[in-house]
Amino acid sequence: MVACSPSRRIVIAAGLRLPQARAGGAFAKEDAGHLGARAARELLARTAIPGDQLDEVIVGCVGPPHDQANVARVIALRAGVPRGVPAYTVGRNCASGMQAVTSAVTRIEAGIGDLYLCVGVEVMSGYPLIFNQAATDFFARLAGARTSMAKLAAMASFRPKMLSPRIALMEGLTDPTNGLIMGKTAENLARDFGIGREEADRYAVRSHKRAAAARDSGRMAREIVPHLGLGSRPGKLALTADDGTRDDQSLEALGRLRPYFEKPDGVVTVGNACGITDGATALVITTEERAQELGLEPLAVIRGFAWSGCDPSRMGLGPVHATSQLLERTGVSVGDLGAVEINEAFAVQVLACEKAFASREFAAKHLGRSEALGELDPRLLNPNGGAIAIGHPVGATGARLLLTSAHELHVRHCELTLATLCIGGGQGGAVLLERPSA
Amino acid sequence: MPSHTIAIDIDNLPCPAGAPEPGSCVRVEREEDGALVRLRLDPPHRANPVFDAPLLRDLARALGDVERDPAVRGLIVCGREPLVFCYGADIDSISELESVEEATRIGRAGQEIFQRLHRLSRSGGGRVTTVAAVGGPVPGGACEVSLACDYIVLADDPRSRIGLPEVMLGILPGWGGCQRLPRRLGVPKALGAILTGKLYGARQAKKLGLVDRLAHPVYLDRIAADVATGRERLRRPERGYWTWLIDRNPAALAVIKSQARKGVMEQTKGHYPAPLRALEIAADAVRSPLQEGLQREAAALGQLALSPQSRALVRIFRTGEAVKRRAAGADGEKPARFTRAAVLGAGIMGGGIASLLAEKRIPTRLKDLAQHQLDEAQSAHEQRIAKKRKRRSLEAYQADAAIDRLELTREDLGFASCDFLIEAIAERLDVKRAVLGQFAEFVGPDTVIATNTSSLSVDAIADGLPHPERVIGMHFFNPVAKMPLVEVIRGAATSDAVVRRVVQLAIDLGKTPVVCADAPGFVVNRLLAPYLDEAMRLFESGSAPAELDRLALGFGLPMGPFTLLDEVGLDIGAHTVASLEAAFGERMAPSKVLEPLVAAGHLGKKSGRGIFLYGKGEDGDELNPALRRPASAPAVSSLSSEDRVDRMVLPMVNEAARILAEGVVESAAELDLATVYGMGFAPFRGGVLAYADARGLANVVERLRELAASPEVSKREGGRARFEPCEPLVELAALGGTFYGS
Repeated sequence: MVACSPSRRIVIAAGLRLPQARAGGAFAKEDAGHLGARAARELLARTAIPGDQLDEVIVGCVGPPHDQANVARVIALRAGVPRGVPAYTVGRNCASGMQAVTSAVTRIEAGIGDLYLCVGVEVMSGYPLIFNQAATDFFARLAGARTSMAKLAAMASFRPKMLSPRIALMEGLTDPTNGLIMGKTAENLARDFGIGREEADRYAVRSHKRAAAARDSGRMAREIVPHLGLGSRPGKLALTADDGTRDDQSLEALGRLRPYFEKPDGVVTVGNACGITDGATALVITTEERAQELGLEPLAVIRGFAWSGCDPSRMGLGPVHATSQLLERTGVSVGDLGAVEINEAFAVQVLACEKAFASREFAAKHLGRSEALGELDPRLLNPNGGAIAIGHPVGATGARLLLTSAHELHVRHCELTLATLCIGGGQGGAVLLERPSA
Repeated sequence: MPSHTIAIDIDNLPCPAGAPEPGSCVRVEREEDGALVRLRLDPPHRANPVFDAPLLRDLARALGDVERDPAVRGLIVCGREPLVFCYGADIDSISELESVEEATRIGRAGQEIFQRLHRLSRSGGGRVTTVAAVGGPVPGGACEVSLACDYIVLADDPRSRIGLPEVMLGILPGWGGCQRLPRRLGVPKALGAILTGKLYGARQAKKLGLVDRLAHPVYLDRIAADVATGRERLRRPERGYWTWLIDRNPAALAVIKSQARKGVMEQTKGHYPAPLRALEIAADAVRSPLQEGLQREAAALGQLALSPQSRALVRIFRTGEAVKRRAAGADGEKPARFTRAAVLGAGIMGGGIASLLAEKRIPTRLKDLAQHQLDEAQSAHEQRIAKKRKRRSLEAYQADAAIDRLELTREDLGFASCDFLIEAIAERLDVKRAVLGQFAEFVGPDTVIATNTSSLSVDAIADGLPHPERVIGMHFFNPVAKMPLVEVIRGAATSDAVVRRVVQLAIDLGKTPVVCADAPGFVVNRLLAPYLDEAMRLFESGSAPAELDRLALGFGLPMGPFTLLDEVGLDIGAHTVASLEAAFGERMAPSKVLEPLVAAGHLGKKSGRGIFLYGKGEDGDELNPALRRPASAPAVSSLSSEDRVDRMVLPMVNEAARILAEGVVESAAELDLATVYGMGFAPFRGGVLAYADARGLANVVERLRELAASPEVSKREGGRARFEPCEPLVELAALGGTFYGS
């Protein structure tokens, strides 16, 4: 486990994001390079930061396109960042976008540079289908055949099952060390914490209602820049808000869905889980002094962050582990937090976290604490909804949570906010933000 | 020297002033113990080498050296740098030719020199392996000298362009090109190259067989030496029996010729003689002896070079080159390029300008208040770039970058680092002033502020802005990506440096800039207005729109007046004319015949109906029934075709004479350039003023007076004012002068 509470005042100096679009929809023809560059270019334009002053560009992305190795470099160059500025890509599964930020914080803390452009991006629409092993072998045989007879023989070895592809998305969402797809880890939590279908669906409805309200009140627009997906047909309009939010989401509608991962008795349905989504968020991470020099009014001070591991088959509890570390390190208690973002991978997973936060037993058994971590006020937990309503573009979400949390400091006029998420493979990440002194 | 050499007096060719010492234009470099000779074309008096008299003379002299030296086994003709070879024949001297004989003599002189190279070559029966090692632009004469060698090695670089573009100047490849290209490529491919005047990129040229090998520019010298010494053997694909089947087969040739002729006629409508002559000569090249072909070629060159069409095309070309030199300052230094642009207004014009800027490597921020306008602009940009990608004129990564460079926003943020700003918002003075006043504060202190206005005064817009010296007009035409002209409007306060930067920008965008003064309508719109309106008047008095369109096409305009109006939009046309009428009074007074259409929202192609109907199954052939003649008008016009063409064209001449006299543009040549590039005025006529000159100004004045007095014109309001020849025109005609004369 690692936790860090920087000795310098490191800030999120500026940030913005594109609307998040359901995969295969508005951004279906996007690629991570273009979508990330669009967010990065717009942020550089708005902040008027001269590109050559950047120390580095760090991008979090889980599944970069196969033709964009080190997608960070692709994004930097396509965003118009001068060639002399280096760029690298980080991966920590669902927390990649947050990792980009904590990597920058770590570097600044270590005295390596003080101005970073961090991007979280994911185009899940672009995840490929992969030829299965039988098909791969078939092509190898075909390529290796020299004579026409051999070619004919190779061709004759074709079988229809070779056409059945491996789906990168499904395999990517499965933990290879225990064979569990993420939804099944959530089912484990539902059993552990006794969370029923109705409770989960009720939470999902709340997420949609809150997201819709945040959109209608203009809260979402504070962080979103409209974006027209690449290759949109003429006449198509730009997306100005996340398109996964359902204003009319209801318990009845959700109740009609069948469990997706454990039929027939499971709790997790596609309605109370996050959607497969495309999105990008860009943030400028720097020191308070440097932000002032650049004429930027910081959104938030990064008080600290923590990364911790946990049981991979209960990866959804990662936020509890990481938050415990972070609060201990920074000397802050749950009651001090003005708002908390826990990424909504699954409704049951957030509910499980909520229960674990409040449980003395859990604290004693897993966190080495004698008292419960602290009860979360449901009104302050994901006050603008979360991934169930606005989607979870995996590599982007970590950065998106930070942007949302940073804005929440100003919306709620509170001193501290927390952004935390669970990570496939059994990890949790958490970042504590503080409102900059005016 | 072989006996069949024709004595050519090279010293009598037109020689530029300040020509260098004989022998200094071609460097003779001996390598490999004298077995290999490199002839490097490096005329000290030319930044861009061309085949002028001194260079031809020195090339002949250098060839003489090689002819006399039996040790030479390999010969390379190359340029001073891998990507600088030679820009073809000296076009300035072509325009100074005074007689057919002189032009023919120039043709023969070049042919003879290149023939000497050919006779040295193995393919010409000589003892030397000759190689042209070329790169960068290799047009016309430069390509022809290469064709005379055994092999052509071309620098593999995007800047390499090789071909025979002579027909674009109304002449034909007269230094053996019409003979050697068909022999090299076969007749069909050679005709494709010669008749279109296309310049081929490196890969295309190799694929076509125009060049034998590509080499990286850095290796060009070395590889040419390998080829010339025989260390590397190149094999040219033999055409074999195809030669007999096609190139030497009269029946096949007859078919090819008639097809090609049909293509040419379709393209040129018979206005251009050069491609037809080139077609005859190149198609028969393989069947007849080289010497005979060369003679025919030179004779044709002589006639074509003196033809009015060629004169006009050459003048347009030279003026186009001259205005581009305007970008450079007194010290020859090119102005600083813009690094980031802002475009205000994402309508058709603003979106088009932003799209072009982004494509041409300038990061561009496009602002509009309406998101859907931005969305449309982005879609249009992406589609245009995708089309270019499909045509392979852009690589995938270039297309991506072109799309990335266009930023779209509704906010006022992010403009601070823009050093160029252009507005294309509503044509209202108060709006433009307010918006530019606001944005002048967002952008940097050196930012050039341009307006794309077509009907407002640049000075009026600049008035009240903090730095009027940085304010300028940059008038693009619709569609921005296609129209080659940009009117650069210098306001009273606009600084020279700003004019130069904007001229350079126009050039970088692939446009031809014409600098105009801030006068209403500038040049093109001011000329178009009376022409288009006169077409409406003719319609009122009984002519059919389709018929008038046909007459205009026959005259050499690319589009008839009615079709043009539908393209532009009837509302836009009406707006422009209204502002011109306000400025110039009754001679610009428009016909009322279109008013009902505009009122009904029939605005042209964009609304599916204008003068003609568009849409499903209709491509503008059918007249809009809402367009009606006044009840009193005759149903059939009594005017002759000639009269009707004059009615449409001569008001333009009259107005152009005023524009020139007022000093709106600097010269008749530039005004004509604007008419050719801005409205497509028959290039073979050389523009409005050149047309008037060719017709004779006395005749023009007389015709204008006749038309002014004709009942149809004299009775209507403003008719006389439009046709009564203006004073400068009358004076010039009385003196027996011409617009180009003095």
